[in-house]
Amino acid sequence: MPEHKLTATLRALREGGVEFILAGGLAAVLHGAPVTTFDVDIVHSRTDENIARLLAVLESLDAVFRIQPERRLKPARSHLAGTGHLNLITRYGPLDVLGSIGSGLTFAELVPHSTELEIGEGLRARVLDLETLIEIKAGLGSEKDLATLPILRRTLEEKAKRQGR
Amino acid sequence: MDSGDQAPAPEYSEDGVDLSLIRWMLTLTPAQRLEFLEERVNEILAIRERNAGA
Repeated sequence: MPEHKLTATLRALREGGVEFILAGGLAAVLHGAPVTTFDVDIVHSRTDENIARLLAVLESLDAVFRIQPERRLKPARSHLAGTGHLNLITRYGPLDVLGSIGSGLTFAELVPHSTELEIGEGLRARVLDLETLIEIKAGLGSEKDLATLPILRRTLEEKAKRQGR
Repeated sequence: MDSGDQAPAPEYSEDGVDLSLIRWMLTLTPAQRLEFLEERVNEILAIRERNAGA
Protein backbone atom coordinates (compact mmCIF):
# COMPACT_ATOMS: atom_id res chain seq x y z
CA MET A 1 0.00 0.00 0.00
CA PRO A 2 1.42 3.44 -0.87
CA GLU A 3 2.23 5.63 2.10
CA HIS A 4 -0.13 8.53 2.63
CA LYS A 5 1.82 11.65 1.89
CA LEU A 6 -0.33 14.65 2.60
CA THR A 7 2.65 17.01 2.62
CA ALA A 8 4.06 15.59 -0.61
CA THR A 9 0.73 16.18 -2.37
CA LEU A 10 0.69 19.80 -1.27
CA ARG A 11 4.34 20.29 -2.12
CA ALA A 12 3.75 18.96 -5.65
CA LEU A 13 0.86 21.41 -6.12
CA ARG A 14 2.92 24.35 -4.85
CA GLU A 15 5.99 23.46 -6.87
CA GLY A 16 3.77 23.11 -9.91
CA GLY A 17 2.63 26.70 -9.39
CA VAL A 18 -1.00 25.72 -8.78
CA GLU A 19 -3.19 28.32 -7.10
CA PHE A 20 -5.45 26.61 -4.57
CA ILE A 21 -7.01 26.90 -1.15
CA LEU A 22 -6.80 23.99 1.22
CA ALA A 23 -10.23 23.15 2.66
CA GLY A 24 -11.94 20.27 4.48
CA GLY A 25 -10.55 18.25 7.34
CA LEU A 26 -6.93 19.06 6.61
CA ALA A 27 -7.66 22.78 6.90
CA ALA A 28 -9.38 22.05 10.22
CA VAL A 29 -6.32 20.15 11.49
CA LEU A 30 -3.97 22.96 10.41
CA HIS A 31 -6.07 25.35 12.47
CA GLY A 32 -5.72 23.04 15.48
CA ALA A 33 -8.88 20.93 15.37
CA PRO A 34 -8.21 17.39 16.64
CA VAL A 35 -9.91 15.54 13.79
CA THR A 36 -8.63 12.82 11.49
CA THR A 37 -8.88 12.96 7.74
CA PHE A 38 -7.53 10.79 4.98
CA ASP A 39 -7.82 13.06 1.96
CA VAL A 40 -6.59 16.41 0.75
CA ASP A 41 -9.37 18.82 -0.33
CA ILE A 42 -8.44 21.76 -2.52
CA VAL A 43 -10.46 24.50 -4.20
CA HIS A 44 -8.53 25.58 -7.27
CA SER A 45 -8.48 28.74 -9.33
CA ARG A 46 -10.26 27.95 -12.61
CA THR A 47 -8.29 30.26 -14.88
CA ASP A 48 -7.01 28.59 -18.06
CA GLU A 49 -3.40 28.95 -16.92
CA ASN A 50 -4.03 27.44 -13.51
CA ILE A 51 -6.05 24.56 -14.92
CA ALA A 52 -3.12 23.76 -17.22
CA ARG A 53 -0.71 23.80 -14.26
CA LEU A 54 -3.05 21.66 -12.14
CA LEU A 55 -3.52 19.17 -14.94
CA ALA A 56 0.26 18.79 -15.28
CA VAL A 57 0.65 18.16 -11.53
CA LEU A 58 -2.23 15.66 -11.51
CA GLU A 59 -0.57 13.85 -14.38
CA SER A 60 2.73 13.74 -12.46
CA LEU A 61 0.88 12.31 -9.44
CA ASP A 62 -0.80 9.60 -11.57
CA ALA A 63 -4.21 10.95 -10.55
CA VAL A 64 -7.29 8.99 -11.60
CA PHE A 65 -10.91 9.06 -10.44
CA ARG A 66 -11.41 7.08 -7.22
CA ILE A 67 -14.62 5.59 -8.48
CA GLN A 68 -13.79 2.53 -10.56
CA PRO A 69 -10.01 3.03 -10.13
CA GLU A 70 -9.40 -0.06 -12.28
CA ARG A 71 -10.56 1.96 -15.31
CA ARG A 72 -7.79 4.51 -14.66
CA LEU A 73 -9.98 7.42 -15.76
CA LYS A 74 -7.87 10.57 -15.77
CA PRO A 75 -9.22 14.04 -15.00
CA ALA A 76 -9.47 16.28 -18.06
CA ARG A 77 -9.23 20.02 -18.59
CA SER A 78 -13.04 20.22 -19.02
CA HIS A 79 -13.57 18.53 -15.62
CA LEU A 80 -11.28 21.06 -13.91
CA ALA A 81 -13.03 23.98 -15.59
CA GLY A 82 -16.35 23.16 -13.94
CA THR A 83 -17.65 23.85 -10.44
CA GLY A 84 -18.02 20.17 -9.53
CA HIS A 85 -16.04 17.91 -7.24
CA LEU A 86 -13.45 15.47 -8.58
CA ASN A 87 -12.65 12.65 -6.17
CA LEU A 88 -9.24 11.41 -7.24
CA ILE A 89 -6.65 8.92 -6.04
CA THR A 90 -3.00 9.77 -6.58
CA ARG A 91 0.23 7.95 -5.80
CA TYR A 92 0.31 9.94 -2.55
CA GLY A 93 -3.29 9.15 -1.54
CA PRO A 94 -6.78 10.58 -2.04
CA LEU A 95 -7.11 14.12 -3.43
CA ASP A 96 -10.41 15.95 -3.89
CA VAL A 97 -10.26 18.75 -6.44
CA LEU A 98 -13.20 21.09 -5.93
CA GLY A 99 -14.34 23.72 -8.42
CA SER A 100 -16.51 25.26 -5.71
CA ILE A 101 -17.66 24.44 -2.19
CA GLY A 102 -20.66 25.18 0.00
CA SER A 103 -23.23 27.29 -1.80
CA GLY A 104 -21.08 27.49 -4.92
CA LEU A 105 -18.19 29.46 -3.44
CA THR A 106 -15.25 29.63 -5.82
CA PHE A 107 -11.51 30.12 -5.31
CA ALA A 108 -11.75 33.89 -5.92
CA GLU A 109 -14.60 34.24 -3.42
CA LEU A 110 -12.75 32.18 -0.80
CA VAL A 111 -9.37 33.95 -1.02
CA PRO A 112 -10.44 36.71 1.41
CA HIS A 113 -11.49 33.95 3.83
CA SER A 114 -8.14 32.19 3.80
CA THR A 115 -4.65 32.70 5.16
CA GLU A 116 -1.21 31.49 4.12
CA LEU A 117 0.31 29.14 6.66
CA GLU A 118 3.70 27.52 6.84
CA ILE A 119 2.84 23.83 6.74
CA GLY A 120 6.25 22.22 6.29
CA GLU A 121 9.90 23.00 5.69
CA GLY A 122 9.92 25.64 2.98
CA LEU A 123 6.28 24.88 2.25
CA ARG A 124 3.45 27.37 2.53
CA ALA A 125 -0.17 26.95 1.54
CA ARG A 126 -3.31 29.05 1.51
CA VAL A 127 -5.74 27.54 4.02
CA LEU A 128 -9.46 28.26 4.40
CA ASP A 129 -10.14 29.94 7.74
CA LEU A 130 -11.92 28.10 10.50
CA GLU A 131 -14.90 30.48 10.62
CA THR A 132 -15.67 29.89 6.93
CA LEU A 133 -15.11 26.15 7.25
CA ILE A 134 -17.69 26.07 10.05
CA GLU A 135 -20.19 28.16 8.04
CA ILE A 136 -19.84 25.87 5.03
CA LYS A 137 -20.16 22.66 7.02
CA ALA A 138 -23.20 24.02 8.90
CA GLY A 139 -24.77 25.01 5.58
CA LEU A 140 -24.18 21.59 4.04
CA GLY A 141 -25.98 19.96 6.94
CA SER A 142 -24.96 16.38 6.16
CA GLU A 143 -24.52 14.06 9.13
CA LYS A 144 -20.80 13.79 8.42
CA ASP A 145 -20.36 17.56 8.37
CA LEU A 146 -22.58 18.18 11.38
CA ALA A 147 -20.68 15.55 13.37
CA THR A 148 -17.44 17.54 13.27
CA LEU A 149 -19.04 20.93 13.92
CA PRO A 150 -18.82 20.85 17.74
CA ILE A 151 -15.07 20.13 17.54
CA LEU A 152 -14.53 22.96 15.02
CA ARG A 153 -16.59 25.42 17.06
CA ARG A 154 -14.80 24.61 20.32
CA THR A 155 -11.44 24.89 18.52
CA LEU A 156 -12.41 28.35 17.29
CA GLU A 157 -13.37 29.36 20.84
CA GLU A 158 -10.15 28.02 22.32
CA LYS A 159 -8.10 29.80 19.66
CA ALA A 160 -9.89 33.05 20.40
CA LYS A 161 -9.17 32.63 24.11
CA ARG A 162 -5.48 32.03 23.40
CA GLN A 163 -5.38 35.12 21.23
CA GLY A 164 -7.09 37.12 23.97
CA ARG A 165 -10.19 37.82 21.90
CA MET B 1 3.48 10.44 40.57
CA ASP B 2 2.26 9.73 44.09
CA SER B 3 -0.48 7.15 43.76
CA GLY B 4 -2.47 9.11 46.35
CA ASP B 5 -2.66 12.14 44.08
CA GLN B 6 -5.99 12.72 42.50
CA ALA B 7 -5.91 12.82 38.71
CA PRO B 8 -7.15 16.12 37.28
CA ALA B 9 -10.70 15.86 36.01
CA PRO B 10 -10.97 15.75 32.24
CA GLU B 11 -12.44 18.87 30.73
CA TYR B 12 -15.21 18.56 28.18
CA SER B 13 -17.41 21.20 26.61
CA GLU B 14 -21.18 20.99 27.09
CA ASP B 15 -21.44 19.22 23.74
CA GLY B 16 -18.88 16.62 24.74
CA VAL B 17 -15.74 17.88 23.02
CA ASP B 18 -12.42 17.09 24.74
CA LEU B 19 -10.99 20.55 25.33
CA SER B 20 -7.62 19.24 26.51
CA LEU B 21 -7.08 17.69 23.10
CA ILE B 22 -7.85 21.00 21.37
CA ARG B 23 -5.57 22.89 23.75
CA TRP B 24 -2.77 20.42 23.09
CA MET B 25 -3.24 20.79 19.32
CA LEU B 26 -3.06 24.56 19.69
CA THR B 27 0.38 24.29 21.32
CA LEU B 28 1.69 22.87 18.01
CA THR B 29 2.56 24.81 14.88
CA PRO B 30 0.49 24.11 11.73
CA ALA B 31 3.44 22.15 10.32
CA GLN B 32 3.65 20.01 13.47
CA ARG B 33 -0.13 19.38 13.31
CA LEU B 34 0.19 18.21 9.73
CA GLU B 35 3.15 15.97 10.60
CA PHE B 36 1.22 14.44 13.52
CA LEU B 37 -1.84 13.79 11.33
CA GLU B 38 0.29 12.25 8.60
CA GLU B 39 1.95 9.88 11.08
CA ARG B 40 -1.37 8.89 12.65
CA VAL B 41 -3.05 8.30 9.30
CA ASN B 42 -0.21 6.02 8.20
CA GLU B 43 -0.34 4.14 11.51
CA ILE B 44 -4.11 3.65 11.18
CA LEU B 45 -3.78 2.45 7.59
CA ALA B 46 -1.02 0.03 8.57
CA ILE B 47 -3.27 -1.44 11.30
CA ARG B 48 -6.14 -1.68 8.83
CA GLU B 49 -3.94 -3.51 6.37
CA ARG B 50 -2.71 -5.97 9.00
CA ASN B 51 -6.34 -6.70 9.85
CA ALA B 52 -7.71 -6.76 6.32
CA GLY B 53 -10.42 -9.37 6.10
CA ALA B 54 -10.87 -9.53 9.86
